[in-house]
Amino acid sequence: MNDGRAPGAAVLPQNPLTSPSGGLQSVEMDPVEYTLRKRLPRKLPKRRNDVYVNMKTDFRAQLARCQKLLEGGGHREICVHGLGLAINRAINIALQLQASSQGALQLAANTSTVELVDDLEPDDPDEAPGEPMTRTRNNSAIHIKVYYPSP
Amino acid sequence: MSGSKQRMREKKLSKQPASVQYTSSPFSSSQGGGSWNGMETPKSGHSSSTYGASPGGPSDRGGWVRGHQKDGGAYEEELPKFITAAAFAVARASEVQAMMKAVTKETGSCHVSGAIPNHMRRRAMSHNTKRLPCRLREVATRMREKGLKAGPKKKEQPKSKSRKARRRHGNLLLEFNRRQRKSVWLETHIWHAKRFHMLKKWGYCLGDRPTAKCYRACHRAMSHHCLLQDLSYYCCIELQGDEDKLLACLSQLTSKDTGPTFAAVLALSGRRQGSATVYRAGQYPSQPLGPVTFLWRPRTPGSSHRQLWIWAHPTLKQSLFPELQSVCQCREPVIPAVALVVTPAEPGPSASKPGPRQAKKSPGAKRKRSAGDGEAPPEKKIVGDGTRPPSAPVTWTSASTGIVINDLTMEVVRYRLIGPQSHAVLTEALEAATDCDAVSKAQASPLWWPQHCKDQAQMTLHRQQAEVFQTLKGVCSTGEVPPGTVLGLNVEDPRLALPQKRTQALSVVSADQDIDETTRELMLKGVPEHCCQSSLWDRFVRDNVTDNKLSEQEINRRKGEVLVPGSRLRPTPPQSRVPVLMVQQPGKQVGQEMSGWGAGWDLLLPKGWGMAFWVPLVYRGVRIGGLKMSLKHSQNKGAPYFPHDFPDCPAGACFQGEQETELLNQFKRRPPAKRTNYIKHGCLAPFRCPWQQLVEEWELITSEAPEVGSSSGVEERRGQGGVEPGWRPRPETAVQSGFSVLRNRKSLKLLSNWCRPTTAKGQRSLRARDQAPLDAASGAALLAAHVKALAWVRLSLLSKGRPELHAQVCVATQEDLQRLGDKKEAYSGPLEHPHKDRFKNKVKRRKKGGKKGSKKASPVPKSSTTLPTPEAPDPHPDSPLALGACSLPAAAGQTSASPSCPPAPAEGPSSSSSSAASPANLVLGLWPEPLPSVTAHCSRVTLGWVTQGDFSLSAGCGEALGLVSLEGLVHTLMAQPAERRGLVLLRNPSALHYRWAKINLEA
Repeated sequence: MNDGRAPGAAVLPQNPLTSPSGGLQSVEMDPVEYTLRKRLPRKLPKRRNDVYVNMKTDFRAQLARCQKLLEGGGHREICVHGLGLAINRAINIALQLQASSQGALQLAANTSTVELVDDLEPDDPDEAPGEPMTRTRNNSAIHIKVYYPSP
Repeated sequence: MSGSKQRMREKKLSKQPASVQYTSSPFSSSQGGGSWNGMETPKSGHSSSTYGASPGGPSDRGGWVRGHQKDGGAYEEELPKFITAAAFAVARASEVQAMMKAVTKETGSCHVSGAIPNHMRRRAMSHNTKRLPCRLREVATRMREKGLKAGPKKKEQPKSKSRKARRRHGNLLLEFNRRQRKSVWLETHIWHAKRFHMLKKWGYCLGDRPTAKCYRACHRAMSHHCLLQDLSYYCCIELQGDEDKLLACLSQLTSKDTGPTFAAVLALSGRRQGSATVYRAGQYPSQPLGPVTFLWRPRTPGSSHRQLWIWAHPTLKQSLFPELQSVCQCREPVIPAVALVVTPAEPGPSASKPGPRQAKKSPGAKRKRSAGDGEAPPEKKIVGDGTRPPSAPVTWTSASTGIVINDLTMEVVRYRLIGPQSHAVLTEALEAATDCDAVSKAQASPLWWPQHCKDQAQMTLHRQQAEVFQTLKGVCSTGEVPPGTVLGLNVEDPRLALPQKRTQALSVVSADQDIDETTRELMLKGVPEHCCQSSLWDRFVRDNVTDNKLSEQEINRRKGEVLVPGSRLRPTPPQSRVPVLMVQQPGKQVGQEMSGWGAGWDLLLPKGWGMAFWVPLVYRGVRIGGLKMSLKHSQNKGAPYFPHDFPDCPAGACFQGEQETELLNQFKRRPPAKRTNYIKHGCLAPFRCPWQQLVEEWELITSEAPEVGSSSGVEERRGQGGVEPGWRPRPETAVQSGFSVLRNRKSLKLLSNWCRPTTAKGQRSLRARDQAPLDAASGAALLAAHVKALAWVRLSLLSKGRPELHAQVCVATQEDLQRLGDKKEAYSGPLEHPHKDRFKNKVKRRKKGGKKGSKKASPVPKSSTTLPTPEAPDPHPDSPLALGACSLPAAAGQTSASPSCPPAPAEGPSSSSSSAASPANLVLGLWPEPLPSVTAHCSRVTLGWVTQGDFSLSAGCGEALGLVSLEGLVHTLMAQPAERRGLVLLRNPSALHYRWAKINLEA
């Protein structure tokens, strides 16, 4: 279960940040003056039947892992989580699972919003304002419960 | 006379009894000749064995000589006419006596083991005489008994004391002090020495790696739980003075181009730890010294007096300290009052060393207070460390600037916790100090805590700090706290609540629990400024805490009195409050993947409290790492490690030299037939990296390439008005070390953009549009700004392979890239053709000659120097064959088969190398100095070398960190197609296979 390559749950999207929605910082930042460093999303304790989907691992490998959990692992339900860019893939995995089970599996999707933190490192540190340069932004996440309906 | 005969004679002579002298000097011959009428009657065939040979004979050879002599000079022709019987008998008597003695005395050759032929000897015979033939058994038994009697006596002699006496506390301390004279111990030394392979390095005795097999476990601890290291060997330098003056002085040492400096606002406020690269004063692009981290003490309102701690590696401190003194003009040493106590006493270096650490560890600790009065007073002053002599002053002041420099090395203990759960370990092991009771508050106390409690402002601060510390428990991972956050705290002695068993500390955060506001605040903004204050900055408090520490024995005694065994000790003794500082260490900050890996906390403690905190931390289930693990930590983090990866700093250059000698010795210890022949592998310098030669050669290569047009490119850029305003191509003249590592952040960012393949999905940089695209003009401008520069790159292998130390980074040719793009075959990389070892014969000939020479030389060792060497080997090594087959990346259209090669400066060893390549320096399999062209030696052009390489457990492939020539890199990138940009070849020194690797240059 422990994925050595990506301790974080899901990858961050690589597309540029469009809306700094965090209310902490109202300063308009010139993008040239700062280096942006993204922190990992908040890591929550996970059960054995939680699958966090990322964009780096091979799709088939992730699908196989879910199948193994459902069939060999003896779990009646698993939870597939995807964040940002990985939402697509999470949905894809869930649908594939359902299709391959000939309708035995059911899906229940939930969406949520995850707050992410970015550190802004001023390139010219002596000029920076006294406030620490962090900003929050929100990103969408999906949590799909894949389960065998109870008879 | 042949050598063997001479040797035999010497052997015989050495076994002769003392009464008989066979001397060859004319002195003895005259003496002998006088006594017995000058006549000799040779009776045996060994006529010349008569001592006192006749003066007329060939007495220059003299003495006893075995065998028939050609010249026959010793045969007397005249026989004596008469013999005086009495005189003759007297003269013979001594001879007979000597003969009897020689017969009875055992000599080496009649030893028992010598009496049986070689093939019948057995090792166990010396222990078990029954394995010997009967006839020898008796003698052997006697010999063995004799040996047994003599043996232990000899062994016992140096240690005249019994074990008990030696282990007695005072004696043990003396012994420890003696052993610390050369390399100082950390406070956790004894703990480490039981579990680690220790290394004597930088004046300290440090743990290198655990004796247990736990490489993977330690890596797991770093990425999932917590790894603990003792970093107390890092040197702390304290600067005090006016903020403006301090900043003015320190600004000479750093440059804004390399990133944050000492004046960075966040760091200056004391809320964050800062880091900077230090240069010699005013020398910015050249002469770097190394990286430091620093910590400002938060401002006290209404005062501009500031306090700054600079943490530096001990090798860096040697060069940094004089530099600091000169920029701050602090030349007057201050002899503090305490130093006077120590300096005159001659046990100063030894007796002053033992901290309470030994006292705690040693079994006889109870004597410390009562009997060990002799050592008690100086014991508390730890004077001297691995980097300076004990009697040297530690404080300097300046009359002009008012700055005080304090050497705080070994005054503050520094522990590093690495891993996502390190905050959980800290929150579990430490506990905010409780308020002291009213009684002790009322009365005056020599302890600092009751005094501290009286101050209301201090207590509110303490409560706020404790609250922040509590909220730390709600954090899931250490990386969620802003990087470099500082938190000051007063904690209770962690020994009081030591758990019964070793447990794993984990943070308890449930999934459903929403982040509460305080935790959110902590994650976003970090610790508020006033909470970064700590009494640890105060010298008085530090000393007070160190002096009044409860001994381990006392703690144990009180624990024994507790009603419920194993419960927490209550009430807290008044001595048991310690000020600490916690500093968050950011994890991996560069690059896209694995961000935040390896984040952790540093714990700063007053001296003397090391073990009191170490054991409780260990009981929270952390793993302990040594030097090797910190190297791996920085490698996985993608950060350069000091001093390994700083070849342009004095410490790094020194390290390279040491490493070379060490590796060479290691290489020479192998039997010659089992050594790698690096010449055949086309590896010129397997044990070091000739950076200087590399940058020079690349300069030549690029200056020859016409299509780059560096000068015109620069002109163009200037005409355009500069797209990147930060660039000032400055003329660099006479750089001392000749090359420098590129640390300019803007250039690094630009370069890192260029290194990425532009078509790969998701790799496009956020601000790619702002940066200049890679073309001839921008490349030339970058190169003009940084002459003779190296760039620090991270290489990850695309397929198999584990890069090793000093592996070559090479440029791939066009054909290689084409074959790689070919989908039909799985192309793992080209092969290097084996080179021819032209030195092999010379080494062999020298060896033969050497043997002959030594044979002759052995009887008369002094004459060996005069012996002419049989043949003087040709000192001119031929220029290598492989020179012809090189390719230039600069010439884009060229293929690898093109015969043109750059006229490298060191290519002509035949002209310049007469002394260095002397046969004595020849080692089989290694190129002798000077090296031929390093870039063009193999079929692929060399870009640089790897300084650390290993299979990365976190990336799951081979990863290496290395330095490449900046010019080479830019030209290679320009020659490569856009979608294959940043691909290079990597080849280990002992392999012929080139492997594909991707360059990651992250800024």
